Parts: sequence; C-alpha cells; structure tokens
Amino acid sequence: MVKNTKSKRNITLIAALAAVSVLSACGNNNSGGNAAGSSTDGNAAGSAGEQVTLRLFSNLPDRKSGQGLAEQMVIDNYTKENPNVKIELETLAEEPFKNKLKAYMASNEALDITMVHGGAELNTLVQAGYVKELDPAEYEGETYNFLPGVYKSFTFNDKLYGLPRNSDYEVIYYNKKIFADNGVNVPTTYAELLDAAKQFRAKGIEPMSVNGKDLWSFAAFFQDLVIRVSGDQSLTLDAVDQKKSFTTDESFITAAKLLGEARDAKLFQESFMTADYGASQNLFTQGRAAMWYMGSWEAGMATNESLSEDFRNNVAVLKFPVVDGGKGKDTDLLAWNGGGYSLVSSSKHPEEAKKFFDYLMRADQWAKTVWDTGAAVPAQKYELTGSESGLQQQLTEVLTGATTTAGSLGLDYGTPKFKDDGQNAFGKFFAGGSTPEELLAELQKAAESQ
Amino acid sequence: MQKVFNNKTAIFLFVFPGILLFALTFLVPIFLSGYYSLRDTLAPGTPSTFTGFANYTQLLFHDSRFWLALRNAILLGLGFIFIQHPIAIFFAIMLDRLGGKAEKWFRTIFFIPCVISVVVISKMWLSLLDPTFGAFNKLLDTLGLGMLKHAWLGDSSTALVTMLFILIWAGFGWGLLFYYAGLKGIPDEMYEAASLDGASGFKLHLRITVPLLSPVITVQITLAMITALKQMETVFLTTNGGPGDSTQFLAVYLYNKAFSASQYGYANAISILFIIVCLLATYLSSKLTRSDATEF
Repeated sequence: MVKNTKSKRNITLIAALAAVSVLSACGNNNSGGNAAGSSTDGNAAGSAGEQVTLRLFSNLPDRKSGQGLAEQMVIDNYTKENPNVKIELETLAEEPFKNKLKAYMASNEALDITMVHGGAELNTLVQAGYVKELDPAEYEGETYNFLPGVYKSFTFNDKLYGLPRNSDYEVIYYNKKIFADNGVNVPTTYAELLDAAKQFRAKGIEPMSVNGKDLWSFAAFFQDLVIRVSGDQSLTLDAVDQKKSFTTDESFITAAKLLGEARDAKLFQESFMTADYGASQNLFTQGRAAMWYMGSWEAGMATNESLSEDFRNNVAVLKFPVVDGGKGKDTDLLAWNGGGYSLVSSSKHPEEAKKFFDYLMRADQWAKTVWDTGAAVPAQKYELTGSESGLQQQLTEVLTGATTTAGSLGLDYGTPKFKDDGQNAFGKFFAGGSTPEELLAELQKAAESQ
Repeated sequence: MQKVFNNKTAIFLFVFPGILLFALTFLVPIFLSGYYSLRDTLAPGTPSTFTGFANYTQLLFHDSRFWLALRNAILLGLGFIFIQHPIAIFFAIMLDRLGGKAEKWFRTIFFIPCVISVVVISKMWLSLLDPTFGAFNKLLDTLGLGMLKHAWLGDSSTALVTMLFILIWAGFGWGLLFYYAGLKGIPDEMYEAASLDGASGFKLHLRITVPLLSPVITVQITLAMITALKQMETVFLTTNGGPGDSTQFLAVYLYNKAFSASQYGYANAISILFIIVCLLATYLSSKLTRSDATEF
C-alpha cells in the first residue's frame, strides 16, 4: 500500500522535474564565430607607431575562396605594410551575422570596422548611432574610382554612412549543355522562357532553381518583371515610398499576372518553397536544373575547383528576358549595391581604423582583388586583366552594357518591416495560391504600414 | 541541522546565490521585455518612444499572423494529446509485457528519434519529403500511387499536416518513456485481482492502467501543451513558418519579428503574451485533468 503511493509520488516527481527542464530548456542561438586573428609578426624595428589591434566583423566565414579569400588577401597586404597593426577578425554566416551585429549594436561593442548590408539593415545601425558618417569628398578621384550612383543604399538624410564593396545585379545563370542536349533554345523573351520551362518539365528536368525559402528572390524576380513591363526603373521604389500605388498602376497589374504565369508554368523547381540558398545553388551546380535566378556575386562559380569541370565549362549568363509589348529593354538592369563596410562609432582606435578602412576601399585593394580572384563584381572601376573566366566577361558585358540601373532592390528600399511583410506576401502567392490582385493588395498594405 | 534552519543568516547565505541567479537570468529579462513591449523599439540600443499598449492592441486585434501561429501551436498540442499519447500508452503497455532482451531492444529503438539532434531530424525530413528526389515520393511511385506525389512541406495545403506529423513523430519517444515508467509503478497484484474479477484485454487496461496512470497523464498533458507552444527549432530549420504563414508558430514568429523585421518592441509584446498563454495553458490543463487521486 504504502509502497504504491510512494512509487506514484516518485513518478509525479520525475514528471515535475522534467516539466521544469522542458520549461527552462530554451534554444540557445548557436553562433560559433571564429575569431581568427590574422597577424604577421613583422620585426618592429622598421615599424612606425604603436602596436594596435583592430577588430573587423564580417559575413564571410569561408576564407579559402570567393569574397572571403579576397577580404583576407587585403588584410594580409595591410598587415605586411603596417607591422604594428594586428587585425582581429570575427566571421559568421549571413543570417547569424545580421543578428549578432544587432546584439553588438545594442551593447555598443567596440568594433572598429564592420561589414554592413545597405538599405534597411544599415538604416537601423544609423538610427542607433552605431556607425560613423563619412565624407564623400574624400572618396572621389582615381584612388577609389567608385562608379556613379553606388552610394544610394548607404546614404540616409543625405549623409553617407558606409561604402559599397560590390555591384550586385540579378541575372539568370544557365547551363549551356542542358539547353543544347534537350534542343531547347535559350530564351530572349518572357514567353520563350515559360515555353522553355514547359519543354524542360516535359523531359523531367527542373527548369529554374530559386531559393524560395529565403523569399527575397521572388521580390527581385517581380521587380525585374516590373522593369521589363514599364521600362521605369524607379517605379517599384516609388511604390515602396508610396508615391505610386501597387494596386492601381497598370504595370504592376501586368507584372503580377506574368508572375502568376511563371507559377502556373511551374518554372521553378518542385521543392522551391523549402530550398534555401545552398540547396538552390546545389541543384544548379550539380546539373539538375537548367537555370538559376541569382546575382552577380556568384561569379566565382566558374573558377570554383570544387564544382565539376563539366559544369564550369557550361555555365553562362542570360539577361532577364524582355516582355512582349513591354516598354523595358534587356539592358535595363536590376542593379544595386548591397554589401559594404562601415566604421563603428565606438571604435577604440578611430584613426588607425580609418586608415585601414581607406586602404581596404582603395581601387587597387578590395576592388582589384575581388575581381582578380573572380569572386564578385566590384562597385569601383576595374581593369580587365585578360585572364577573366568566360562567366566574368559575360557579367562585365551585362554591367557595362546596361542603359539604366535600379540603384536599390525594392525589398531593401523600405523598412525591415516592409521587407518582412513583402516577403510574406510573395510566400503566400507562390505557395498558397493567392491571386495577383491579392499579392498587390498585400504589397500595398505592407508599403502603407511600414 | 536544526541550528542551521533556525539561523536566518545561514538561510540567506545558502539561498541568496540561487535567487540572484534566477533573478538575473529570468526575472530581469522578463521585466525588460515588458518595458520594451510598450515602446516602438527597432532594435535594442536604438532610440524609441513610449507607445503604451499600441503593440498589444495591434497584436490582439489586427494581427492575423499571431492568431494563426497560436492556432497552430494549439493544434500541435491537441495532436500530442489525442494522437501521440494514446499511441504512446498502447506501445508502453506492449513494451511492458514483452520483458527480457526484446523489451530493452525496442525501448532503445523507440527512443532513437529523441537523441538525434533537431538539425539532423529537420534535414532528414526535408530530404525524405523532397518532391524530386525524396524517398517518400519514390515509395509512392513504386506502390503505384504516383498521383499522390506532392511537395509536402512546400505547399500550403499540406505543409501544416506534414509538420505536425514530423513533430508528433519526433517527440514520440519521450511520451513513451514517461508512460512506460508509469506502468512499471503499477503493481502486478492489481492486474491479478482484476483478472479474477473477470476483466481482460482492452477492458483490463481501460479500467486499471489508465486510471492508475492518471498522475502521469496529467503531467504529460501539461508538458505537451507547453512543448507545443514553445515549438521553434524544427519549424525554423524546415519551413521557417512558411510557405506563406501555413506553419507559423509563436516562437518562430517572435524570432522573425525581432531579428528580420526589426520590430523589437513588437516582438517583446509577443513574448509577454507568449508567457501569459503558457501560464494559462498550464493552469487550464492542470485544472481540467484534476481528478480525485485514485486510491489503492
């Protein structure tokens, strides 16, 4: 008798303990940053100035290829020339990076230089007074060679708060071999693109890969369509600013219908709503999708040794196709400047930090390095070396041949809240089957309530 | 010992570190959260203004996404209680009767999903359910059920059901373990006496096992509700609340509002409501399941 009640009480006790453990077990955000100090122990004899350690926070964890390698090369150049400077580097992947930067901002962490995302993200840092204002006059001329209009996403209330590191623009990467093997013509109009999609579908090949889980590519795709329909680069941005209306403007209505056609033609891969960036890229680089809708920052694919040679020889670039009856040309480019660097206000070594920052942004440092390594297209004028990959040459042609550019991605043009609501509207449209009108109504609501 | 218990200083010395730690890690953040929830903070550290209960009115009266997230959490809780638990009780009884090596064996097998990391489980299901190369659709093909092939997690109409299935499957081992431990505490004499009275099979368990397990069931129901409300990792790693909002759960919504949409004040308002809902759920489930303790 007694024993039984006791055992019952024990069970309850165990369960109660478990309850406590469940209640208190909160997921901790696993951000395993690696603080790899890159130092060169140069002999201090020839060095001038104090020993100083600068802290750099960046979103490029891979230091062996692509942009991470380029960043590392510039850091190594600088520490060679300035043996008294040590640069302590912390890197995290994209999403954790954004979150940790906000945490740093909240605690006013004394970083010296940080990578920033132009537009809405940087705007938050500016409002918190975490990043320093820069003088654009200092960055004119040959030393820096910035292309015109690249400061747009880094300027708030006519003040500059950071410098862009790349020219970002959306293109369609495609696999020449898959097109040739299946006798599908490379599309130049939107109707041909959808027709190609149907042909690939009939053969059981995924036509176009997209990172649907991240949602922002849909917004870029839609903006591309709006540009092709209206020929007006600023239309989407004006609508975000509420100078135009998503719901009443004819161009938006037409573009939304065209977007619906892409959905109905099953242009994107079957698993597009659960595919994150990496998954969508793998599908394309492993030759299982004919096209990939992505930006110029993926120029490094053609020189990435870890991808198959077959793929590297066959990857090519396609401009977003024109729309029949649309006013836009295929040289109207959806280009903007997303990533860049800013100086942090709470820096302990403001002068030394600025010296390094200026060095990093020189045309013969970041811009040259990133171009020579084939990692991305810089936001500065660059010299062709003649050893570019075919992919780089094509990307250069797309950029230099552009007659107009957007200056900003519509999604990043408003507040972070607009971005979130806008993305959600596209998610519902592609997975929940809402109508083009409903999509526009949601975008309009998002623009009004930001 | 008596001396120590009468010594106020000693009591204070022993209790204080624990209380302090609890206050710093739990109470202070909750109060801070409450403070932020009354302001229109963009992100911690940015200037903000006092907005009173604007965040709350927006949430409660104009935010269908919040209600959807809450609804999904409640659905998951009900799924745990009405689907997972009965099956868990059934298997616990089966296990209990097995005995010997087989019992140990199956106990381990059932518990495997609980020891695998959430990340692995999420990625595994993503691959299994992939519409192009996933094993599940391949299986349908071989069974001649090709027309049932589907982007299970990528389509609003099936995403939630699929997600609930994955979560119910992943938590099954815990449920089983608790009931199994509970069963071990029921003395064999009970069953013998009941058999003599002519009860057998299903009836035996309905009349003996379930009532005697009631304290465990009570705790389990409370736990299920809280686990459901707290659901974050699996959803975050598979659909991130999408497609659209079809698999939106409270914690995922809160996270995205705070860090993606930079609506920090708003996210804190969600977290305060979240706490209230959790407390309410705990209170309700203990109220509802409170039966007079079975005496034996």
